[in-house]
Amino acid sequence: MISVRLEPENKDVCVERAKTVTQLLHALGRKPGRALVIRAGQLLTPDLNLRPDDHIIVRDVGSRG
Amino acid sequence: MKCTRCSDQAVVALPSHHAAFCAPCYLVFARRLVERAIKEHAMLTPEDRVLVAISGGKDSLALAWMLKELGYDVSGLHIDVGIPESSPIARGYAERFCTTQAIPLHILDLQSQGLAMCEVKKRVKRPICSVCGQTKRYFFNTFTLNNGYSVVATGHNLDDETSRLMANVMRWDTAYLSDQGPVMPAEKGFAKKIKPLFRMTEFETANLCFIAGIDYGHAPCPYSAKASFPVYKRLLADLEDIQPGRKIHFYDAFLQRGRQGFASAETTDQAVDPCVHCGYPTSTGECGVCRLRTMMKE
Repeated sequence: MISVRLEPENKDVCVERAKTVTQLLHALGRKPGRALVIRAGQLLTPDLNLRPDDHIIVRDVGSRG
Repeated sequence: MKCTRCSDQAVVALPSHHAAFCAPCYLVFARRLVERAIKEHAMLTPEDRVLVAISGGKDSLALAWMLKELGYDVSGLHIDVGIPESSPIARGYAERFCTTQAIPLHILDLQSQGLAMCEVKKRVKRPICSVCGQTKRYFFNTFTLNNGYSVVATGHNLDDETSRLMANVMRWDTAYLSDQGPVMPAEKGFAKKIKPLFRMTEFETANLCFIAGIDYGHAPCPYSAKASFPVYKRLLADLEDIQPGRKIHFYDAFLQRGRQGFASAETTDQAVDPCVHCGYPTSTGECGVCRLRTMMKE
């Protein structure tokens, strides 16, 4: 179970069965290139593997006015 | 995924550039994008005094940071538009950033001008985003000219520019298509305006902020829900997923081959004269901001 903080709405969700950053973004309805994916203060590229106990920040980059 | 430049572990993947970068190499990449934009369009000289329009969001902070990194004489102007839900937050980010980076920051409070947008919104019939944008352009322009700055720089990025271009194309708005671009020269009482981030996407400026340690605000304006540009941004982002690089090609080709066609077709040479009240250039005798001031006093 990967715990995810969604920003900027600051909402916490859990995601099961996401082995890579790409799969995580897909599970969250997001796409690479539209959100930063951050683990332990480091940016992650879409190909990287995730661990079940990861704490991830997914920060949407689209400005909304 | 390995860094394209040094083969270290990459932290940013950019399909549109067929590249990936580690953090240090990403800063080099971003710097080169901005340097290229400045050089290709003769945006700045070392002698320029640059006023950066600082909203407190990622693009304006990334722009101020990068221009300072490049050695330019940079100051900021933050316009507090007077929206209780979002303005204090944005102002706080702008102030903290400029303090940390030792960038002089001017604050212009629209409430002190009788033009707080929360009050203006109750009175105007036009879309508030249009009124707010017009008002900010007025104050950025007048502040630039009245305080010895040679150019005003804004953080418009590639997504801003391509979504605006697409909106203009969808309306075949020849007037806007004839003068859209990353540089507006100083003329007819208007200050020179530049957009040095026009080659960078929102994703790229967000990555730049993260890697450079820039803390930015992302509280959306509560009035922006009906803005049309986000619709075009989403459409173009979907296209970019299928055809990486399409956005910059669309915009570059417009600048190289499209814009001049609209410029020659746009024959309207509307007279622009100083506003009868404030001297701001206008084609209607009294400028939009003076009309707004009058309306708010009634």
